[in-house]
Amino acid sequence: MATTTASEPFPFPREYFFPAFFTRQPNLTIHHAQLTKWSSLVLAYARHHRIFRLALSAAADSDLFYNRQLDRRLAPPDIREVVDFMRKDGRAEYLQPGDAGAGSSGSNSNGDASTASTAASAGAGAGDVVLIYWRKPQEWAALIEAYVDETAQKGSVLTVYELTEGENTRGTEFHGMDNGVLMKALNILVKRGKAQIFGSEDSLGVKFF
Amino acid sequence: MFLKHLDLTTALRPLYLPDEVLLFVQDNVGLYEGKYKLPNQQNGQVYLTSHRVCYVDKIEPRKYSAALDLKEVDRYEFYAGFFKSSAKVTIVPKPLRRSALHNRVMSGTGVNSRHSTPSPTSSNDAYAPPTGPPPAAATWVCNICSFSNPVPSNFDPAAANAHTPLPPCLACGIKPALSLVLKAAISSASRPSPSPNPSQPGNINNYTFSSASAVTLGLVDPFATPGEQRKSDTAIAFQCPRCTFSNHPSLLSCEMCGAPLLSQDAPPTISTAEYIRILSQSPGPIKDTSQGAVDFAESVKISFRGGGEKIFYERLKSAMTQRKWLLQDAPPAPKSSRMADDNSSSGSPGTPTQRTKTAGIAGLEQLGLNMRKNNEILIGSAFEDLEALMTSAKEVVALAERFAQQVNGASADVTSKENTILAESAHQLGLITTKDIVGSGGGSDSLYFSELARNLAEFLTDDARGVLKRAGGILTLVDLWAMFNRARGGVELVSPMDFEKAAQMWEALKLPVRLRTFRSGVMVVQARDRTDDATIRSILAWLQDLHEFPPDREVAWDWREFGRGVTAQDTAERFCWSLGVAEEELLMAEEQGVLCREEGLEGLKFWKNYIGKTDIAVLQKREAQEEADAILRRLKDTGLI
Repeated sequence: MATTTASEPFPFPREYFFPAFFTRQPNLTIHHAQLTKWSSLVLAYARHHRIFRLALSAAADSDLFYNRQLDRRLAPPDIREVVDFMRKDGRAEYLQPGDAGAGSSGSNSNGDASTASTAASAGAGAGDVVLIYWRKPQEWAALIEAYVDETAQKGSVLTVYELTEGENTRGTEFHGMDNGVLMKALNILVKRGKAQIFGSEDSLGVKFF
Repeated sequence: MFLKHLDLTTALRPLYLPDEVLLFVQDNVGLYEGKYKLPNQQNGQVYLTSHRVCYVDKIEPRKYSAALDLKEVDRYEFYAGFFKSSAKVTIVPKPLRRSALHNRVMSGTGVNSRHSTPSPTSSNDAYAPPTGPPPAAATWVCNICSFSNPVPSNFDPAAANAHTPLPPCLACGIKPALSLVLKAAISSASRPSPSPNPSQPGNINNYTFSSASAVTLGLVDPFATPGEQRKSDTAIAFQCPRCTFSNHPSLLSCEMCGAPLLSQDAPPTISTAEYIRILSQSPGPIKDTSQGAVDFAESVKISFRGGGEKIFYERLKSAMTQRKWLLQDAPPAPKSSRMADDNSSSGSPGTPTQRTKTAGIAGLEQLGLNMRKNNEILIGSAFEDLEALMTSAKEVVALAERFAQQVNGASADVTSKENTILAESAHQLGLITTKDIVGSGGGSDSLYFSELARNLAEFLTDDARGVLKRAGGILTLVDLWAMFNRARGGVELVSPMDFEKAAQMWEALKLPVRLRTFRSGVMVVQARDRTDDATIRSILAWLQDLHEFPPDREVAWDWREFGRGVTAQDTAERFCWSLGVAEEELLMAEEQGVLCREEGLEGLKFWKNYIGKTDIAVLQKREAQEEADAILRRLKDTGLI
């Protein structure tokens, strides 16, 4: 369902093949351990497939939450619980309705990256799409800053499109990055006074200091 | 010793003899031996059975419990209590053989008093003769001159033979035949009436003694206080009670008439320190165990501090009249006259003499016929009136049990067989606690419950019945209640309320079973040693086994790694638990974090916890290990190592 950069299949952890892993555990200790494991599984899965946005209704039928081999699946309420747990950990965020529109329009205009996830997000209702931070925005910001520093582009102006889709960023981690997440990372840089965003909706430019 | 050690059941109740029937229970009693309190036996329960009086100590039941056989009891008295002195029942043992001799040689024996408070009874009355030696009371009548001679005090009917020297008749000087003396000795020893007849010439009557010598009998001195040193006329010659001849004090028998003489030992003294110790609690001195008079037959007093003495006394009286211990090995009661009539009048070949002659099938038929006839007669005579029923109760019960067995054998039902086993063991109806055998008083209800609790514990832990064992060591309270009432055979049923209250007392009474309440409110009965940990261990071991044995059908997961999920049903079958118990145990194990659940189409299954915390620790360890490996590898790559 997501763009797969790596061709090899995702190595699922051991628990994924444990039938009881797909049932919500009433024991608090076990439940916490279960959430922790699910959270790390989701993050690892997203990192492997470079998923930035997850449409929960669609993801419920994906390999991630549905083990076809065992015929066991995580129920939607339990998925939501996992996401909530990740949100508290700073590893996920529900896309706000307004935000979602901006993000999807941006990514649509920006090209073919992560089309699958955005299409899913466009199709689903509000609160269904989750941003998965397998890197936190702060980490993304640091990565971009390091790239700008390395390539000596301080003081110059780059377009957002150039950052994610340009030839120069090919090979960096944030190449093909989701627009919404990128904007959050750039905003962090702006707040620190390391960058400035200007331009209109469609053609955003960033100047790094 | 009069008080014997008592064997207790697992539930700390007296172990009953065959055919023994419990008559009465009362708690909060203390024991006295003679005049003195027994220091270790001051708080306990007294069990009156048809054969014994048992004392079970509350604090150290295994150590200090004691019992005395009713057959050794000579008489018993009732004392109603006075101010701080509680009501007491005094039980006087039958005199020991040669106790008089013992009295002479042993110093430091205790002074006996019937009551701890001085009572104004006349001395004649007080000198009842319980310890008068039986040989002395026996007389033989001379064949020649018909003079009543005393049987010599050292004459032992059991040991006597033709060479035993026998004294000649006092009047005519002719030696008696051994059989004559033997008969006289035996008849006097087996004479049930303890009270002596003063007119009997051979009998020693204690009231002819001086008061000082009466004390030394180890009997009663109503005016004695233990602190007093008594030396009225010890120095003077010892007067023979029969012929009034003044003998030398060291002589055992009268020089003139041969009557046995009794000692003049001075009573012991009791230190004042001891007195102070005792006075703090209740009146009456405590027996000093350092005194060596253990095998001295002393009266035993049971002090009822919590009431119940009247019923105890009444029941004791009836038990003493019934003398059930005599029936223990006795042959069945003689057949009723009606049966004899039937047999004689009919003149059928069913008479015992002819029975032996028949053989073959005819003989078997005859046997069957006879048995049926006997049964008929037994039932007919037993139900004639209530009295008859009481006397032949044992046989009727046996008959009923046999019938029940035959009926069950025909139906061959498993459950009915189970019931039979229970009913069979329930024939010890005497062991059953009912409300009316428990003493009344302030805390009568709690006594009833504690007795019921002990009763239940016995029922559960009884190896012959194996109630708990068959249920896999755990049983719901409801099941137990049903089983227990069924075992009682439909009489004296216990109400659920009482049952629950009794079960809740197990913990306090330190019995080997315990009541456990699951989170859902289900109450179960378990052996005390069966803790949650033990249960979890056994469940885990079982789940571990499932890693080794392949499941019945193909499964999607790796059963070698995860084993398989178990339902409550599986668990119940595996451990012989009831379904409810299995469910609760699994939930308990889950709550402890040992199991985790899987809800699926096949229902709720439980797995060994592969999600839980311990696993995380393992995972983190592995990650740390990997990280360390990666660093090492990088260091190697850069050529540092």
